[in-house]
Amino acid sequence: MDPNNTIEFYNVSKSFKKGQKLLLKEALLDILNFRSQDHFNALDGVSFSIRRGETVGIIGKNGSGKSTILKLIAGVMVPSKGEVRVKGKIAPLIELGAGFHPELSGRDNIYINGAILGLSRKTIDARFDDIVSFAELSEFIDTPLKHYSSGMYVRLGFSIAVNSGPDILLVDEILAVGDERFRRKCMKKMEEFKKEKKTIIFVSHSMDAVKEFCTRVIYIKSTKKEADGDPRQVIKTYIQNEA
Amino acid sequence: MLPFINILNVRKYRALIKELVKREIKAKYKQSILGYAWVILVPLINLVVLTVVFSFLVRIQTGNIPYPVFLFVALVPWMFTASSISAATSSLVANQQLITKIYLPREIFPLSSILAKSVDLILSASILAVILIIFKVTIFPSILFLPVIFLFHFMLVLGVSLVLSATNVFFRDVENILSVFLMVWMYMTPIIYPPELIPANLVSLFNLNPMTGIVNAYRNVVLYGVPPPMPSFAYSMIFSLAIFVLGFVYFRKRSRYFADVI
Repeated sequence: MDPNNTIEFYNVSKSFKKGQKLLLKEALLDILNFRSQDHFNALDGVSFSIRRGETVGIIGKNGSGKSTILKLIAGVMVPSKGEVRVKGKIAPLIELGAGFHPELSGRDNIYINGAILGLSRKTIDARFDDIVSFAELSEFIDTPLKHYSSGMYVRLGFSIAVNSGPDILLVDEILAVGDERFRRKCMKKMEEFKKEKKTIIFVSHSMDAVKEFCTRVIYIKSTKKEADGDPRQVIKTYIQNEA
Repeated sequence: MLPFINILNVRKYRALIKELVKREIKAKYKQSILGYAWVILVPLINLVVLTVVFSFLVRIQTGNIPYPVFLFVALVPWMFTASSISAATSSLVANQQLITKIYLPREIFPLSSILAKSVDLILSASILAVILIIFKVTIFPSILFLPVIFLFHFMLVLGVSLVLSATNVFFRDVENILSVFLMVWMYMTPIIYPPELIPANLVSLFNLNPMTGIVNAYRNVVLYGVPPPMPSFAYSMIFSLAIFVLGFVYFRKRSRYFADVI
């Protein structure tokens, strides 16, 4: 792996099996080490490498394979073909608040979520006030999460993730939630990350946000990489293709 | 045990496991008046009901040992088995949000469910201790065998949980059949009745159940002051170790596809 790279995709394909019935068959065939043929592709022979400090936008229509890319980077999925290499600590901002428990307080959830992102209790203790104040939730920190509004949820999740000290930040359309003021605050925080040479992978349908924020854009068109490079150029290709 | 602990990533993920165990314990009894007292009440209610049915109505004979004592020594470990396996089996599906978003060694989820139930076990074991004192049961040095018995008991529970939880991700049928499976398993184990009640020609069949050796071992060392029964406990030890290793290998193999289907 090139030392300047944080993420490398080599000819990566991901396919899923279709339907429940095939799963049963698949499970039985698995024992005999056969491979069932009825697959559909979510990603087909995609290659790219991302250098440290790049802010890369991934664009494409729904179902083109953008989220699959994020899941492969996060290591939750393994590629069916090809290879994915990732170096550095990842904080996913994909649907914030995964692992939150509605019955528990904001305080408890900060400790759980922090531990999920790999922080020790001591580190969380040290960053606790920063997390709470960034999320603007000091008043409600001992309230059970089930009484939070969706905006408060997002703020807490974002705040924990950015305070977990990641090398790679995966952002999936989260800024759609939360009010305008908090959105600007998040953008500002991500600008700081950019300056700190952290890698940001940004998935969005908002071409304005991508243009404004990213230094490079990858366009995925129905499972294949269609274009990769300068944001203006790639977005132009995207608009021509999808219009 | 140490190498196994390392396989299970316990060291690296200790903080997370601790938080998950706390979450499970804390969250379970929120929004209930009696809260954590339920951990003590449920076993006691079970004890009373089963004692009434099987001591006063069915009149099972248990020699010198009073029936409630005889029952509880086996019921406490059984309740750990049953509650751990059912919590662990649904643990992956319950945490699907995390499984599809963040990479964590997935065995952490069934493991922390079982550890949360181990905390319950400590509490129900203390009630057992109180009951032993109330009934003035003599305690023998044989109780020193307890940690060994529990070690293999824990491995059995973890092994079965790894297999069932991983399978449940692909076939939710597991979750549905589980309560029936656990009920049958309980009646196939000498918990409410003494092993002497098993017909002689069926004893070897009953001994195929790994819980038989384990439950009899608990009774031997706590009530009768003798070592665990042989060879049935040796069989349970081998079975537990095997299911633990196989369960772990199977779980690891399946876990690559959890995020694809969950």
